[in-house]
Amino acid sequence: MLIDCDIHVGYETLADLLDYLDGATRELVSSSGTNGLAMPSYPWNHPAGWIRQDVYERGSSVGDFPYLTLDTLRERHLDRYAVSIGVVEPDEAAAFAILPNSQLAARLCSAYNDWLLDRWLEEEPRLRGMIVVPAQWPEAAAREIRRVGTRDEFAGIFLPGAARIPYGNPVYDPLWEAANELALPVAVHTHFESVGIAGPVTAAGMPDYYGEYHALCGSGMYGHFVSILCHGIFERFPSTRVAMVEGGLVPFVGFLWRLDTNWKSCRNEMPWCKRRPSDYVWDHIRFATQPLESPDDPEQLVRAIEFLRPAETLMYASDFPHWDFDEPEQTLRQLPVEWRESVRWRNAQTFFRLPAPALA
Amino acid sequence: MSTKAQREARLPLDHAPREGTVHLLEIGGHRIGLVRVGDSLHALADRCPHRGAPLCSGRITTPIEVRDGGVGLGERASILRCPWHKWEFEIATGRCVVDPRLRVRKYAVRLEGDEIVVSLDHA
Repeated sequence: MLIDCDIHVGYETLADLLDYLDGATRELVSSSGTNGLAMPSYPWNHPAGWIRQDVYERGSSVGDFPYLTLDTLRERHLDRYAVSIGVVEPDEAAAFAILPNSQLAARLCSAYNDWLLDRWLEEEPRLRGMIVVPAQWPEAAAREIRRVGTRDEFAGIFLPGAARIPYGNPVYDPLWEAANELALPVAVHTHFESVGIAGPVTAAGMPDYYGEYHALCGSGMYGHFVSILCHGIFERFPSTRVAMVEGGLVPFVGFLWRLDTNWKSCRNEMPWCKRRPSDYVWDHIRFATQPLESPDDPEQLVRAIEFLRPAETLMYASDFPHWDFDEPEQTLRQLPVEWRESVRWRNAQTFFRLPAPALA
Repeated sequence: MSTKAQREARLPLDHAPREGTVHLLEIGGHRIGLVRVGDSLHALADRCPHRGAPLCSGRITTPIEVRDGGVGLGERASILRCPWHKWEFEIATGRCVVDPRLRVRKYAVRLEGDEIVVSLDHA
């Protein structure tokens, strides 16, 4: 049994969504820019390619995210590694949440979710989708969550690390309320920091190289993590669960130790955070493994993340088909034997509330 | 015990890979990529020592190096880049450019008349 919490699929170009858009948005998407609406993207490029080279033909795609077919996903990943359930996160569609035009973003999100259902989730029973929402317009995000969130094909809600305001801020209450109402988990996944309406990846200024960016890209997620804890999201929306996906593991240990210490002195400015912040983590937050930090001595990693109670909080993630994909057995081998079964599937099954028969 | 036939593969010299391409062979169950760098032929295991990816389906590239304080190109088509995590390997030595502890296995290549002979012997 294996649950993969982070598989990426996406459209090749926005034109793939035209059939799922209303007439006015179709017109806007088609007539904007030079060749249709252009999405904001990273100012950096991976110097050797974003995507695993064995899943696409270079030059075969017009977009920056080469199109992965369902057959390729089955052959190279689901079948090859006997993935029981794969949770599908967006590629370029993650950028809808950092578009300046929130009304357009809302319509694109709905079209994408319908496209995902139609082309992937209804076609492959091993896949579960994450709902893409216009996070910059929380009321519309809540409407989208309620529109599709009751479908079994969706396992939760996707929020990118990139944002204008950290996700614990009260402006997001409508979004959390909808997530809480449907008991759907939220995955905060590193994506598009420094892009669109999002803040810079760090306050130091813009990195020069993609390699720098990628080492720092969890910064948005750490901001959301701390914000969610300090604003008492889990007190006010107790059915809410949050996964931190692709932000590494070790940094969360340091932030939690520091935040727990600060809370003792600063609790009176955040009275809705009633317990020590780390206490909420064990009940409500889970961490995806990829990209697993890889010190020369794997024992150093195990010691560094023990505080996170990995046997209860870690969930396997591959990030297929991206360049920093983590293969399942290699990942699990780096962890103590007694953690592996939980990391392989048990923690994710509980977190996403996947029905046991789906794993048969 | 392997027979001699299972330990070698032969191909006509005019089937030698062009620069920048890999000719894949299978010898006794081992997948091996034959690659040309300049006038030399090299045979490398089709398995990345980092995470086990099919290395020989990666791209052959020219390294970018520091030259006189700027950047320049190194030996043409001398690097094999893993298709998964993009780690680079020097084709002539099998050495991993970014982690000296790793080396891709190299096999012996020789010319016999008009034939290229690749064997499971270590290069």
